[in-house]
Amino acid sequence: MTPDMLHALRDPAGVPSHPLVFLVLGVLTFALHMAAVNVMLGTGALTLRGAFSPSAHWRRLAVAMLTTSKIAVSVAIVLGVAPLLFVQVVYDPFWYTSNVLSAWWVMGFIALLIAGYIALYVFYWKNHDIETEGAKGGVWLVLSLALLLAVGFIVHSLTNQMLFPENWMGWYAPQGVVKPDGHSLHYWNLPRFGFFIALSAPVTGAWLYAYRRYLQATAQPDATYLAWLLPLAKKLMLVGGVVAVLLGVVWMSTLPEKMAWFALSPMALIALLALLGTVALPLILKDRINQGLWGYAVFGMGAVALIVVGAAREVLRYVTLAGTHGYDALDYRINMDWYSTALFFTTFGVLGSVVLGYLLTVAWQAGQTQGTYSPSPALNRLGNLAIGLLGLWIVTYFGVGFFVWSR
Amino acid sequence: MDMIGLYPTWFEPGVGSGWIVGLIATIHVLFSHTSVGAAIFFAYLANYAHHNQRPDLLDFIRRYGLFLLVFSYVLGSITGPGIWYSTTVASPRGISALIHNFVWMWATEWVFFVIEVVGVYMLVYLANKLDGKTYLKLSFIFGLTSYTTMLAIIGILSFMMWPGKQAWYAQGGFLNAFYGPNTFAQLGMRTAFMFTMTAVVGGIVAARFEDAAFKKEVASKLAWLGIGSAVAGAAMFQWYLSTLPETAALVMQNRLPGWFKPGVLGILAGTVAYFAMTLVQPRTLVSGGAAVMTVAMLVFGLWPEEVARESMRKPWVAGQYVYSNQVIGRDVPGMGIKSEIPLLEAHGFMKTQVFMPEHLRTITDGNRLEAGRVLALTTCSNCHSLSNTGIRPLKNYFTPENTVNDTAAYLQAALSTGNTLYMPQIPLKDDEALALATFIATLQGPVNPAMAVAQTLKKDPAQ
Repeated sequence: MTPDMLHALRDPAGVPSHPLVFLVLGVLTFALHMAAVNVMLGTGALTLRGAFSPSAHWRRLAVAMLTTSKIAVSVAIVLGVAPLLFVQVVYDPFWYTSNVLSAWWVMGFIALLIAGYIALYVFYWKNHDIETEGAKGGVWLVLSLALLLAVGFIVHSLTNQMLFPENWMGWYAPQGVVKPDGHSLHYWNLPRFGFFIALSAPVTGAWLYAYRRYLQATAQPDATYLAWLLPLAKKLMLVGGVVAVLLGVVWMSTLPEKMAWFALSPMALIALLALLGTVALPLILKDRINQGLWGYAVFGMGAVALIVVGAAREVLRYVTLAGTHGYDALDYRINMDWYSTALFFTTFGVLGSVVLGYLLTVAWQAGQTQGTYSPSPALNRLGNLAIGLLGLWIVTYFGVGFFVWSR
Repeated sequence: MDMIGLYPTWFEPGVGSGWIVGLIATIHVLFSHTSVGAAIFFAYLANYAHHNQRPDLLDFIRRYGLFLLVFSYVLGSITGPGIWYSTTVASPRGISALIHNFVWMWATEWVFFVIEVVGVYMLVYLANKLDGKTYLKLSFIFGLTSYTTMLAIIGILSFMMWPGKQAWYAQGGFLNAFYGPNTFAQLGMRTAFMFTMTAVVGGIVAARFEDAAFKKEVASKLAWLGIGSAVAGAAMFQWYLSTLPETAALVMQNRLPGWFKPGVLGILAGTVAYFAMTLVQPRTLVSGGAAVMTVAMLVFGLWPEEVARESMRKPWVAGQYVYSNQVIGRDVPGMGIKSEIPLLEAHGFMKTQVFMPEHLRTITDGNRLEAGRVLALTTCSNCHSLSNTGIRPLKNYFTPENTVNDTAAYLQAALSTGNTLYMPQIPLKDDEALALATFIATLQGPVNPAMAVAQTLKKDPAQ
């Protein structure tokens, strides 16, 4: 696949803002998506471990983790929409080709995701009181986790097939004969997949630190439960973190020749340091983990580390495609559209911040309150502002729309 | 030589890619509208509970909200990207055109999705936890956010038919692409449908009310909402039809099956009759009946509507500049887009297509059949199945009596100018027309010839 061919595949409409904006948003939203995926898998695995345990603490944890996992599925799906959108904007030749070549798997992704989601709910419906009665129907949870992993593997494969334009014709027309069935996944790298999945352990460890800190702030925290959580969080963080890093090293050592430069590149080393720093943070904090907001710091640092890993992954893709294949994502033709650009950033920055700020604060405080929760007057005003902004957005939509229609 | 950026083709010989896209789209519309309908109904219930001191209704929301709200919401949110995925593999340049013109509106919609996902779980899990006023606020936020997701997508759906303003071709720009009469007519139609779904889905919930008086009151309100929105939807549909391009109106007259119009009128009459029944006899409002009505709306209402919308925009798939076979078929100076037809007229498909095996770029006696098969995949298979089943099988348009030369002459005469209604302009070179005709001649064979040829050639690549 020559550079001219790759450029011919680009959309002729160009992009409505500088391509760098899409790359940056892609990295940020990918990191958020991965965090949700890791929490989803990690809390699902903890549910499986805890729900059938004779230990009351484990079963209590399983109840909380099951709720977390159910919600995390939805959050992971929604957050995954954004990087899926942005990758199509600047890497459309690669994403679309990879998808078409494995069309049935692309469709299968949807079916498996729905099945995995339903299986998780079947487990939930079968178990309304895990804490006192224990659990049954674990096969549904195992099935759900297996299906969600399969979904992850499909996306992993599609994402990696993008990086091998030199193989596309061979995959599409083996021995020169076009084979348009889309039946096959053509490329995967198990250490890379394993690395991103293994991150679930330290991310969930960090999540447990935050969960523990959140419970500390409730009216009557259960000290024995909190004490029991601490070594579990630490173990997940340390052991899981080391396993993930080791898988990362294996991934680096199995990089194809055209990507081998990445293994010892500054970006890969920075990502390694970010991960090791996160894993080591609880050890550095020691008892401070129980003071102030430090209990949340581990997850915060983990989120930063995921952004760094996401950025490193993007550097690997960008440089490989630009260097080896002559496709520079940053030279995509710009057809600047100020209105829609401003619309997004205003909605994202102003409306999104206010509405989500209100909702999350209410949810946060309600969870720490016993009995009926009533927000403070200031928070109520924020809620009114949230509704007002949504109303304003709708009014603006119609106002601008009718003006454009009539002119 | 310049190349045209056609992607590889995915060919599904059983039912065809178009039906798969349509199936996923229909399921998505059902779930997403159900979710929005349930959100609005629960907002109403929350409001009622708040003003009438009825905490039992909030318990009710918690019990049944989980299934209706979360389930329909999450399945809607999975099948939403599902449409992306399915259209990506069936029509990559079509979805690419939408993405590149509307990426920021899609990203804006994503902000609302994030708000929705937080809101939906709060509605369910905090129903017994929040005070009445706060829960009401939450309900309003979720209801408004759900509606904004429809506002965001509607102009993009409309662009699939044609741009909001014709000025877009000369001037470009998001606003000209997004807003126009077709956008608002479709918005009116879908808003009405959303309320009809609210009435239907609300019935599934209201049927479980144990308080007979309250059930009667809610059933009555839902029935009037259902009747009013169904009638309004029919009126909006008429308005929508008046905003379509001339070609779409011609396709409607000539290409839609005879049952389409009576079918639409039938589902309208059935919907009104159903609500009239629950209005007169609230005891006929049972969960099973409302659920059956929901499925009936899917099978008899949504499916034909989605199929019709898909058919009417032919030969285009996006903005009346991307043909259904993915070729850019007209200039859009406002966006710097150039038609690929002149390049195809000059050099043909085989020489200019990116994903073309090198040995097929020059057609010979030895590779004519395979070249014809690849041409059929590229230029025809998006709308015409190459097998015996699926969407509009290509073989049905030809008979065994047609000679290869006749077919080749016909293909060039009918398709080279772009003057055939609902067909793209396909400027085949002489050798390409002959190759395609050679392949078409094999379609009268036994089973699935498109794949059979591939298998044969795979065994003997030298053929």
